Amino acid sequence: MKTKTEPPARPEAVPTVRKAPARGGRRPAAVASGVFSGLSHAALAVWALLVIVPLVWTFVAAFKTNAEIFGDAWTLPETWHFDAWGRAWRDTNIGRYLLNSVFVVSLSTFFTMLFGAMAAYVIARYEFRGNRVVYFMFVSGMMFPVFLALVPLFKVVQNLGVHNTYLGLILVYVAYSLPFTVFFLTAFFRTLPTSVAEAAFIDGAGHVRTFFQIMMPMARPGLVSITIFNVIGQWNQYLLPIIIVPADQDKWVLPQAIATISTTAGYRQDWPALMAALSMAIIPVLIIYVIFQRQIQSGLTAGAVK
Amino acid sequence: MRQGRYPFIIGFLAIPVVLYAVFVIGPYLQAFQIALTEWNGYKAPEYVGLENFRELFQDEAFTAALRHHLWILITLPLATLVIALFFSFLLNVGGGAGKSGTMRGVKFSGFYKVVFFLPQVLAVAILGVLFQSVYRPTESGMINGLLAKVGIAPVQFLNDPKIALWSIIGVVVWQSVGFYVVLFSAGMSAIPKDVFEAAAIDGAGRFTLFFRVTLPLLWDTLQVGWIYLGIAAFDMFAIVQILSVDQGGPDNSTTVVALEIYRRVFRYSDLGYASAMGVVLFFMTLTFAVLTLRVTRRERIEF
Amino acid sequence: MTEITTGLHRRDMLKRLGLVAVAAPGLSLLSACATGGSDESGKDIAADGDAKNPFKVDATIPLNVVIFKGGLGDDYATQVHEPMYVKAFPGVKIEHEGIVDIGKALQPRFSSGTDIPDVVANSGTDLMDTGALAEAGHLQDLTSLWDAPSVDDAGKKVRETVMPGAVEAGLVAGKPYLLPYVSTTYGLWYDAELFKSKGWTPPKTFEEFKTLAETIKAAGLTPFAYAGKNASYYAYWMILISAAKIGGNQVLIDIDNLKDGAWTNPAVEQAAAAWAEINTKYSDKSFEGLMHTEVQTQQNQGKIAFYPSGSWLENEQKDSTPAGFKYGLAPTPSVSASDQMPYEAVRVAAGEYYFVSAKGENPQGGMEYFRQMLSKEGAKGFTERSGSLTIVNGAAEGLTLSPGLSSVFAAQQAAGQNVVTTSLFENWYKELETELRRQTNNLMYGRSDAKAFCAAMQKAADKAKKDAGDDLQTRAS
Repeated sequence: MKTKTEPPARPEAVPTVRKAPARGGRRPAAVASGVFSGLSHAALAVWALLVIVPLVWTFVAAFKTNAEIFGDAWTLPETWHFDAWGRAWRDTNIGRYLLNSVFVVSLSTFFTMLFGAMAAYVIARYEFRGNRVVYFMFVSGMMFPVFLALVPLFKVVQNLGVHNTYLGLILVYVAYSLPFTVFFLTAFFRTLPTSVAEAAFIDGAGHVRTFFQIMMPMARPGLVSITIFNVIGQWNQYLLPIIIVPADQDKWVLPQAIATISTTAGYRQDWPALMAALSMAIIPVLIIYVIFQRQIQSGLTAGAVK
Repeated sequence: MRQGRYPFIIGFLAIPVVLYAVFVIGPYLQAFQIALTEWNGYKAPEYVGLENFRELFQDEAFTAALRHHLWILITLPLATLVIALFFSFLLNVGGGAGKSGTMRGVKFSGFYKVVFFLPQVLAVAILGVLFQSVYRPTESGMINGLLAKVGIAPVQFLNDPKIALWSIIGVVVWQSVGFYVVLFSAGMSAIPKDVFEAAAIDGAGRFTLFFRVTLPLLWDTLQVGWIYLGIAAFDMFAIVQILSVDQGGPDNSTTVVALEIYRRVFRYSDLGYASAMGVVLFFMTLTFAVLTLRVTRRERIEF
Repeated sequence: MTEITTGLHRRDMLKRLGLVAVAAPGLSLLSACATGGSDESGKDIAADGDAKNPFKVDATIPLNVVIFKGGLGDDYATQVHEPMYVKAFPGVKIEHEGIVDIGKALQPRFSSGTDIPDVVANSGTDLMDTGALAEAGHLQDLTSLWDAPSVDDAGKKVRETVMPGAVEAGLVAGKPYLLPYVSTTYGLWYDAELFKSKGWTPPKTFEEFKTLAETIKAAGLTPFAYAGKNASYYAYWMILISAAKIGGNQVLIDIDNLKDGAWTNPAVEQAAAAWAEINTKYSDKSFEGLMHTEVQTQQNQGKIAFYPSGSWLENEQKDSTPAGFKYGLAPTPSVSASDQMPYEAVRVAAGEYYFVSAKGENPQGGMEYFRQMLSKEGAKGFTERSGSLTIVNGAAEGLTLSPGLSSVFAAQQAAGQNVVTTSLFENWYKELETELRRQTNNLMYGRSDAKAFCAAMQKAADKAKKDAGDDLQTRAS
């Protein structure tokens, strides 16, 4: 799946949560060092502002009036109007799109992980004829631009009768997430010690049981990492949904809804409501990010360094 | 190993392989076939050989798109990686030598990392809408609102064909920097402390530290970053479609191959031609990845 | 914003929606394969001179009517048209369905051939591809409807009671399969109240336009603006209209027929030059980066004097128009004294498509239902309930209209037979249309000039002709 979110780099390493660099402790700073440190802070602070300000601006704009949004960008609303939030919630259906996204992404990530782990495990741990073929088939998928497949994909989805359905969207999300998931997890399963699985076999556990009860828990760090990657990638997916569920507005997911709401914000000329809708799309993601930021950062950069 | 090995293998592989073959491999293979036809989606496709490819290179919009990819391919990774390296160096080593001689980051580096990484979790579609407000060409735009305060005439970020593409690349840089800051920070903190200590004892300043120690040790990570950003440079669909004037304009100045494919499919119903563009895009991505791996391959520094 | 389209002039709305809008019809085109059915066309239904029942409707067969339940609502059907039909055939049963997703609901019914509705208002983002339906033989040829006696005057054929160009607007592959029911008028929109208080009057010539623009500029307003980001076609409509006024409708017909040299016609160049001058001198380059809604809001805020658009504008802006703002429509100014059409000429286009299913239970009933819709009573009721004018001549007489609609009505009355024809190439050749958007922005924002504009468009039209090959579409008038 081509997404904006960059995947973890080298899969062979086990992701670990890295501690933030050591902090604290007074330091006998030379003057030059102080200047450098000051400049460092200035540079860092400027970039931090560049990130934060547009988000805060959007949030504040949701309390403005139309006229204020089209006036000077840098004034606060004269009175804080909360009603745009109500209108955005009611009129743009943003709540519904949020739920759609949650629904689709939870299912598709779950099945991506399940099927991806199953395939990766078999490829990594079992010798069989065609093993390499299957592996390279999956891995080659990482190189293809999704756009190449667009036209036939549309036809396939149509012929299977899953066009404009959640099922179609979920199946396609899973299929397009498999290359990376299989690639990463295959490498991961190879790094796990074989002794535990062998012990399980001796105890009489079957292949399936060994996989679910022994190997899956052992692979937890890798699974978590790729789950985060898939959640972010699928949550932000824009192209696939506009191909697969274009017509049925009730089934739209958040990114396509936001894009449409912005082009049509318009029909009611309700800019504050657009800003409120945008904020409503951003805020839940922000909250989840802040709560899990450590896991997300380490998960996404896992394995990039040995 | 055990009895029931093959049923197990087949059982585990069946669903993922079928899903993947139907939705990914099948369409990709068909795309190569369709690229050789003229097809509007409902009449029978008509075989035209390489005609589509011949036409492609006379297609003004398509060649403009190719040119843009070239620019993006150079500037996006360069800008992103340089900025990210700079910040991650400040965050991790910028604090200078601590009392025990170990290198430390500046204060609040954890906070900065959280903030910098944040745009990464926002959907590109959302960024597109967000930056409409940032770049709005009147005083109600965030940037032009500030410029107006100091008496500078509004900059036509997305309207001026000379700067529109750069404005759009800027959004992607804005989004991507955080990821690489975190990536490089992880890389830097993995560099053994004694390497820095030894260098510091030898009297190396911050800049020497950066260019002689940090950079070479991060080479692999940088290479990975370059490939990711390069692949992103061949996409750019969502941001261009949402943000640019007239979808890819003004005057085709921001169009990308993906957008041209989209237009061919959904506006012109010209599916054969669109697939031919997809095939070209595929070979470009492939060439880029292979080239990058070749050119940047060098001795790994082991420690 | 659950309902994106306001129902008015869906085609234009669709275009404006950019991605979604373009995707929807595109996809339904792709899905044409799924539309099953044999190719045999529906039987021709003859009409005789019987003004009461020309199609020989059998009142024992119920009529299944499907209406798109969007911005126009479906009251006009349940409260006006259906009661009229029942009144004409006492005891007849009507099965009414108000549906939002027309394509999703109806496509399976058409492809399986079961439960096919008789009358369909084919609208919304999810409308069906009528080209595909026509190929599959699902559309009833409306020739005999247009030739049937009108409900209001048995001495007149239905085609004589509607505005010029309406029948042609419903052609699919050369046959009248569709009924375009709503009429849209295009021109320059302004705040009539503001103009009254300032003592300004809409200009009749481009010379007057420029003089007035200076005055407007001095008063601190932007004299003219359109949205370059997603609505550059509003501007090319103006250019095309002016070209037709200069050189007659034949100029636009030649363009539609991809005739050699149609774009390099001096009329097109003169029109392009005139509009380019207005926009480069009396607008602002920032508008190229704004969306139509942003520009329209600015006009409502009293910052812009003239805005080019169609008559859906007033309805679209309903919620953001301040109380004192009264929309008025002005025809495009004359370019020269030797223009072939008078200043009063306006472009009036027929749209909002309805069709009768050839393979339904009751095509005769469907045709009769259309005939009732096309009566003055039916059209008047429609305008009252939907806020849109119809193609039926004179049907709005005596109605209390909104300021915008009454100015449209006045403009149509003033234009009389001087109607600028609607360009069909916009829908026939999408690639050409896309190029026109690009070249329009280039022209209007000073990156090219009228000559370069015409040359670029001619080149694109030549390519379109070459690409079309045997699929070249033509129109006679």
